[in-house]
Parts: sequence; C-alpha cells; structure tokens
Amino acid sequence: MTEMNLQPGTEFRLKPRPMTRERMRWYVDAQPTIAADDGRIHTQEPTIHDDDDYARSQGLPGIIADGMVSTNWIMGLLIDVFGRDIARKGRLRTKYIAPVYENHLVTTCACVTRVTQDQSGARTIDLEVWCEDDTQRKLTVGEATVVQAAA
Amino acid sequence: MATGLMVTDLDVGDVLGPVEYTLSPFVVREYCHAVELHHDCFQGIDDQVMPPTLIHLDKLRLYRHACPGGTGPTARIHYEYDAEIFGEVRVGDRLSVVGEITERYTKKGREYLVLVMKLTRVETGELLIRYTDRVILAYREQSGKAA
Repeated sequence: MTEMNLQPGTEFRLKPRPMTRERMRWYVDAQPTIAADDGRIHTQEPTIHDDDDYARSQGLPGIIADGMVSTNWIMGLLIDVFGRDIARKGRLRTKYIAPVYENHLVTTCACVTRVTQDQSGARTIDLEVWCEDDTQRKLTVGEATVVQAAA
Repeated sequence: MATGLMVTDLDVGDVLGPVEYTLSPFVVREYCHAVELHHDCFQGIDDQVMPPTLIHLDKLRLYRHACPGGTGPTARIHYEYDAEIFGEVRVGDRLSVVGEITERYTKKGREYLVLVMKLTRVETGELLIRYTDRVILAYREQSGKAA
C-alpha cells in the first residue's frame, strides 16, 4: 500500500447511508446465525432493533439501530483507507451518544489527530471517528489508532 | 456460574467463560455481509481474517454460556465498544474467550454494566484482542442516549 501523506486535520468520509429497517435487521439475524455456525440462516426473539412493539415496550419510540452497525461502518472506513492494518494492531473505541432511528441518514467520518513514526519506520495514526446525521449532529463518537508496519 | 442467572443479574467479579471455538469462514463472511464490510480480507476465500468488531458477538457467546436464564426483564442497550487489537485473528484459529464484570453502577437513573473480555489463540496463549463493553441494562428515554 502506498504511504499516504497524512497530517492532523486530514478527513475521510463515506457516502451517506440511510439506516433502513433492513440494515438493522441484518445485524439482528446475524447473531443467531453466527451462533449456530451451520451455514443456514437463524432468527431470534423480537428485539429493540427489529420489532417496533417490543421497542416501545422498552420505552423507545420505535426500533433503533444496534450501535455495532455504526461501529462497523467506521471500521469499514478505516479498512478502506488503511487496509487490513487495523485488524492487525491498533484500537477502536466508539460510544453511542444518540439513538439512530429508522431511515436516519448516517455519514461515517474519520479525522487524523496525530501521526507518529518510530525508529523502525512503523507509523501510528490516531484519528477521531464519528457518525453524524444529515444535520451534522453526532450520533456515534470515538477514537481509533492504526499502526502501519514499516514498508 | 449460577444456573438460571440472567444477564441483568451479573455483578462485579463475575467471570464468564472461558469458551473455546474455532473461527469459521462462514462466521466471518456472514458477519461482514451483515455489516457491509465487503473487503476481500473478510469476504474472500483465501487469507481471511476476523474484523475486530466481531468480538462483540463473543460477548453474546459468553452470555449464553454464563447466563442460561437469558437477557432478563429489560432490553440491554449497547453504549460503548472499546477494542485493543494486538494480533491478527485468522480463520481456522482455535480461540479462547473469557470475560469479567468489572463495573456495575447507576448514573442518571440508569444502570450500567462493564464487561472486559480477552480473546487469545489457544495454541500459543497470545492475547489477540482485549475488549471492553459497556451496556445500559434498562433504557429510559429522557436522556436520549441509546444505541
């Protein structure tokens, strides 16, 4: 991978995506499917992510997205930019500071806050990461660290 | 581990697991498909690795193991994901995951639970991911924070 010229303030954004009902349900269905690990699709009891009545019974106005959907969209942006280095060494921390409701338009963002290089040539990139809605209100916030081995 | 224990019963010092499993290509592809990580390193055929976010489902693996009574009376809401990655996790790896409840506290009328998990490679004992998971055990709408 060609080394990018990164500096504090360098920003990356993904194209906005609507948090559709289907996107929320995909994560719900993945959970029992992965637990079974038998190659077939499995479903689970109603959750706050796929059943409006159940969500309302828990004090919510309707279904909300699992925070891990946003975290994975941030992960996807980091992979797009840095390749698989983030799966090898680093850190990702996210907090879900506002609920993401059905059809919210979500933009995934990252901004470089620091770049350091050690004597071996390995480069550490710190970033602020977040997801925002179409009014630039932050929904998910966090930090990431990506460590790139020397070329 | 107490039989009948629910997730809402967990308290500081409770240890969940360890649980061992082998990471399958199906699990990685299925997860990445669900969260739109359409990258070759995850959804390809060769040299497939685990996205570090997949450790979140190991939490559910530990809950199933330690809390046979299920979720409990209220829906759990995920508040924070924090993963430190120390090594690549490859499809086919034999893995061990263990967790410990490190905090349970009330803030602004909501009850929070913190689980710290460690994912290691069974063959070498190498720590691959340390994950801290913070959830709200019972949601109330007024503060507007939820995920």
